[in-house]
Amino acid sequence: MSCVEGEPCVEGRKRRRALLALGLMGIIFLALSAFSFLDSRGQAVPRTVTYAGHDAIAGKRVFQAFNCMGCHTMVGNGAYFAPDLTKLYGQVGPAWLEAFLPSAGAWPTRAAVQVQLADPDVAGEAGVTGVEEYLTKFPGAAERIERRSAHASTMPNLPLTKDDVRGLIAWLKYTSSMNTEGWPPAPRVDGVSLRQAKSVPVAQQTAATSPDAASAGTQAAAAGAAAAPAAARGEALAREYGCVACHASDTRRLVGPGWGGLYGSTVALTDGSSVKADDAYLVESIVQPNAKTVAGFPSGTMVSYAEILDREQVDAIVAYIRSLGEKAQ
Amino acid sequence: MIRIEYATQRLSLRFFMLMLVLFLFQVAFGLLLSAQHIDPTLLAGELNFNVIRAEHTNLGILWILSGFIGTILFVGPLLSKRELAAPGLIKFLFLALLAVVIWNVATQVLAQTGVAGWWEGEPLLQEGLEYLEAGRIADIVILVGFSILCYVVLRTFPKVSQWNEIHWGLGIGVVALTGVWIFGMFFVARLDLQEYFRWYVVHYWVEGVWEVIHISLVGFLLVLMFKADIKSVGYAVFWGISLVWLSGLLGNAHHYFWIGTPEFWQFWGSLFSALEPLPLIFCFWHVYLDAHQDGKPVRNMPAFAFLLGSVVLEQVGAGILGFTMTFALTNVWSHGTWVTLSHAHLALFGTFGMLGLAAAYYAVPLMRGLTGFDQRPGKLAFWLVFTSMLGLGFAFAIGGTVQVFVYRTLGLSWFSGDVAPAMQFAKLMVPIFGLVFAIGVCLLVYDLLTLGLARSVAVKRLAQEAAARPARAPGLWGRRLTGWEAGLWLLGMWIAGAVITLGLLSFNLPFVQHGHAALPYLMASVGYPGLFLVTLLFVWRFLNSLEARGQAELGPLPATAPLATGAT
Repeated sequence: MSCVEGEPCVEGRKRRRALLALGLMGIIFLALSAFSFLDSRGQAVPRTVTYAGHDAIAGKRVFQAFNCMGCHTMVGNGAYFAPDLTKLYGQVGPAWLEAFLPSAGAWPTRAAVQVQLADPDVAGEAGVTGVEEYLTKFPGAAERIERRSAHASTMPNLPLTKDDVRGLIAWLKYTSSMNTEGWPPAPRVDGVSLRQAKSVPVAQQTAATSPDAASAGTQAAAAGAAAAPAAARGEALAREYGCVACHASDTRRLVGPGWGGLYGSTVALTDGSSVKADDAYLVESIVQPNAKTVAGFPSGTMVSYAEILDREQVDAIVAYIRSLGEKAQ
Repeated sequence: MIRIEYATQRLSLRFFMLMLVLFLFQVAFGLLLSAQHIDPTLLAGELNFNVIRAEHTNLGILWILSGFIGTILFVGPLLSKRELAAPGLIKFLFLALLAVVIWNVATQVLAQTGVAGWWEGEPLLQEGLEYLEAGRIADIVILVGFSILCYVVLRTFPKVSQWNEIHWGLGIGVVALTGVWIFGMFFVARLDLQEYFRWYVVHYWVEGVWEVIHISLVGFLLVLMFKADIKSVGYAVFWGISLVWLSGLLGNAHHYFWIGTPEFWQFWGSLFSALEPLPLIFCFWHVYLDAHQDGKPVRNMPAFAFLLGSVVLEQVGAGILGFTMTFALTNVWSHGTWVTLSHAHLALFGTFGMLGLAAAYYAVPLMRGLTGFDQRPGKLAFWLVFTSMLGLGFAFAIGGTVQVFVYRTLGLSWFSGDVAPAMQFAKLMVPIFGLVFAIGVCLLVYDLLTLGLARSVAVKRLAQEAAARPARAPGLWGRRLTGWEAGLWLLGMWIAGAVITLGLLSFNLPFVQHGHAALPYLMASVGYPGLFLVTLLFVWRFLNSLEARGQAELGPLPATAPLATGAT
């Protein structure tokens, strides 16, 4: 307060009292803060969390670099456009995330999750031996497969590498293990009718929204009457088993090389040699993916599908890759 | 002829103009966001939601800061009775601000490809943390800019022994603005610790620093507009700032409920942030008192309308809506949903945005040397943005209430399958009100950019017409607003706020948790429309009672005599 001439000036005293009260608040605040981050509280810290050899701090850098918080929320802070991610790992488990993150535009199928469990690292992290056990242990994954499997998601595909994906999963593993004082509140409702949920499967959606896709389908059918059924079945299998999560149908690089124009081309390998992408090479790449690695890609990323697909299914997928090669030429 | 008292006051004009341009862009990004909420595949892969949202929040912060800087530069010489120090530095500050805006808009796009520019563990280009999306390079330029602002303000002000409350408020404000920013400038690995420090910047900026600058500037603009007594305003500013800090320092605890920090924060946060509305009520009351201390006509209605809007939306958006979700038992539901958006939009745009616009409407005509100007576009623009912002607050609040029920109570986590369809009605309201808002913004930006440049002839004709018109008797809405009546309006707002609070609390009831939404839905659909309607009518009533005083010319700037510093 300003002083008036001729009146006693109490301005300084009032300011000092206000500052004293404020200082007291500050001390309380700092004491509470110091206590909040004591090791003895037992709060999870990212330093000690790893997932399949990737640490959570590296995952945090990926999380920030892609500004995940700009759509999702984390401990409730963020953009409210997409679900909260804090407890996601505990609900859906690592194999579902491994299947989802490389191509987030479509929800993973059961087969795609099963494929991920073929990787001993993933199965080890999940602590299960088979997909049945996995879905019992992670009901969030079971619910997602039951309701969303093969539907389009509204998340854009992000150019995540295998390391990025595993780092992110490590980060989510850390946040999931945090004590957030009971938030988000656990639903107590039982028997929700899920019928209100209506969404369109990917195939129908692309057919409906893009006239090109529909006409392209007709052209392909006209081009090779015999090849088309195998290729169409291969396309369905590729989606079912999550191949499309890592392989684009054009020449784009996702986690693995794109399939567009691949068939019949010459592929450079990491050992310096090169090979023609014919049926034999493609079959080998599916059942023994680490026998030959394409130059510029890390080895050991893809699991073997030898135990997952039978020979006829592998041939159908190769037929699909062949049809993509022909279309591009 | 009116003149600006100090030549360096004119330096504020460029900051006001930049503010208006950035505001336009921010609104355009906001409209895009609302369209993406309806069709999430819109522009997906080309301009993802997270990028547009980062632009929207960052531009929001930057134009509010630009408005603050403009206002501080305009009132600085009047407060100090001398020219601003270092005008060259101010010109450099403007260029740095411009550069950092362009740089930051450009680097946010990198989030789509995951490029953060990691160097020595720090993200140089963009950081991907809500509100702090700017990368380290932009952070450093902004820090330099704030330091320049501090230097200019402190060098311009008189000796500390001669400071009055407004000097103290602004002086502490600009220094704290700079100091708090530093807490957002390092990478933190732990999520709980990262959020802890992120709220240092976000909460203490808004609640500690911006609020203090806001109180000081509102106080001084009231002195300028109504020739209010600087001593009584100083009294209000002193108590305002004291209460803001005493409640806000520990009030930050309401951000520490669920981030992995201990449960005791729920006690401290619920207790102290419940006190945060006190300074806002104080500020609200003083605007009423100062606007009614003489019955003279208001010279610049658009400027006062935005100032009133600022104080009223501060009361409604920050005070009441903030209060409704500041208790651990209500926050556990509202946290992480659209309910928060309602509060954020009304509080940020309302309190701080409208203050910058009020200052621009006050300062621009003076700097352009106008004795009068056509006030109709400004008043119309005010009503458009004020009404549609209340509408946006309503849409977000209703959408948020539905979201709480579907997402939290029912536990449905499929956003495109379950949550978004349930929120569809609210999601459609957002672009509708957004469009009205955008029209209002275009109008006010056009009006302020061209004010006094081409329309002086029309103004004279308008003035003659107004003089020729016989004075109308003030109607029901135009009679003098008594203190009792203003108090009743405020009480009405708080009663609606209580209904909203109880509605959020009702999510804790067992039968609601077992899937019956009727009670929280009913209370939200009474509370929110009630609150916004009372607010709208109150502002209508307040401005009408001032309009009834008649028209007056802008007149010269008030003499600086009553601004004499305190300790003489």
